[in-house]
Amino acid sequence: MERERWGTKIGLILALAGNAVGLGNFLRFPVQAAGNGGGAFMIPYFIALILVGIPLMWTELAMGRFGGNQGHGTMPGIFQLLWRHPAAKYFGVIGLLLPITIFIYYVVVESWTLGFSFFSLIGKYNGATTQEAMGGFLQGYQGIARNSYFNGIYWAYFFFIATAAVNYLVLRRGIRGGIEKLANIGMPLLIVMAIILVVRVLTLGTPDPSKPDQSVLNGLGFIWNPDLGALRNPKVWLAAAGQIFFTLSVGFGAIQAYASYLGKNDDVALAGIATVSTNEFCEVICGGTIAIPIACAFFGIAATQAIAQGGSFNLAFQSMPIVFQHLPLGNIFGFMWFFLLFIAGVTSSVALALPAVTFFMDELGWTRKKAVNVISIFTFAASNLVIFFLVHGFMDELDFWAGTFGVVLLALIEIVVFFWVFGKEKAWEEITRGAEMKVPPVFKFIMKYVTPLFLVTILAFWAKTDMIKVLRMEAVSPENRPYVWGARVLMLAILAGFAILVAIASRRGGFSKERNTA
Amino acid sequence: MTTSGYIFLVIGWGIVLGLVTFAMTRLFRRTKR
Repeated sequence: MERERWGTKIGLILALAGNAVGLGNFLRFPVQAAGNGGGAFMIPYFIALILVGIPLMWTELAMGRFGGNQGHGTMPGIFQLLWRHPAAKYFGVIGLLLPITIFIYYVVVESWTLGFSFFSLIGKYNGATTQEAMGGFLQGYQGIARNSYFNGIYWAYFFFIATAAVNYLVLRRGIRGGIEKLANIGMPLLIVMAIILVVRVLTLGTPDPSKPDQSVLNGLGFIWNPDLGALRNPKVWLAAAGQIFFTLSVGFGAIQAYASYLGKNDDVALAGIATVSTNEFCEVICGGTIAIPIACAFFGIAATQAIAQGGSFNLAFQSMPIVFQHLPLGNIFGFMWFFLLFIAGVTSSVALALPAVTFFMDELGWTRKKAVNVISIFTFAASNLVIFFLVHGFMDELDFWAGTFGVVLLALIEIVVFFWVFGKEKAWEEITRGAEMKVPPVFKFIMKYVTPLFLVTILAFWAKTDMIKVLRMEAVSPENRPYVWGARVLMLAILAGFAILVAIASRRGGFSKERNTA
Repeated sequence: MTTSGYIFLVIGWGIVLGLVTFAMTRLFRRTKR
């Protein structure tokens, strides 16, 4: 069966950018920057971009194209081709576990953005003008509390079904007719809406002249005033590296699946840089200019500090709706904000589901219809656990192991396999073949030595500071521990399930030969 | 915002816009051929 291909180069780059640009760009980045030294945060951020982000983007694109052209678009098959060892394919199972685990909770948060975009349009949260009131609205929506806004989780469940349906339909239509088409429409729309919101924020000035401190400029100061002393704190460097992972979606196993639908000599170098630059535009310029500056203009410096410490979700779903109620045409701007987040979310979530779909098609010979149906039913069921056990920390546990720790681990394994096991020269040839730009030779050294060292350092530091605490559930209340264990069992079950499927595929001879489908 | 804040903003935006310009000019030059 001939492997599907991307329709156009621009379509591929928009799809890759859609994968990278997600909720993290608009929610996580401003909170991280504001909380980790402001402008000074940008120094380790850009260093991590060069030493980790861009090398991993190129590595994953090159690995994916390499594997895809031999009939293997996901990590088990790609590792088996790169590292001819019976165990290699089982290391690749991590590259299936991570994206599907992240998909399970990501799609729930994505559904909140769809719900809130609708509520913005109809003015459902109008009148909730304090943090307490808006917090009540959010909790009512999530089914955590019953109040005057919501009498159950029905609305949230409706939007979850709608979001799951959108993801299902896009995946069912395949690469060119589904994911590429979504990116071709969604990404330009997202960028236009982001620019409109940036212009709106920058032209706000000082909304209340009697409070000159509450201005957009002071809000931008939150993101950009440098506290150079923060650079002495290793946690700031880790936060910057973590943000690079999250924002570029590297270490997820998803980029390889996208690249596996490229031709053998299609460029990956310029595609990688175009993806990174689009993502950084959406993050540093748009993400850094919308939420925190507008919050500062309406709430003041002290309150914005508290909002930033409250985390990304409070900023997005609690503070921003209050701000929009103060703006003329606030319902429209509110809709744009949440719908922008929804597009950013859906173009990322389809990428998270694709590795599992591609695995079933490549290694077990399933049709796309069967693969998408099975994945959709399974993830739909698992997402219900996230929805109903949200208050018990189910999502946080999945997020730590898959979205924080797992991605760095997979990134380390893949760059070691590519540059040390497969070999530096062959890896470099894969990255530069068909390149439409000159890849600076210094990156050969960076990818072989600096990137792995950087990743080992991050993992070692996390192991020392966080992992034991999380493993021992030190911050988890006794009544929530069964739910946290439930999240762990779910991840282990997914891991074991994929490992068994890899073994079945292997027994059928799926990994023993190269299948040239180009 | 402090003066150093402005400086960091200009440098940060400059790096990003430079990267975007680099990628997009090359991308569209190649695509047109």
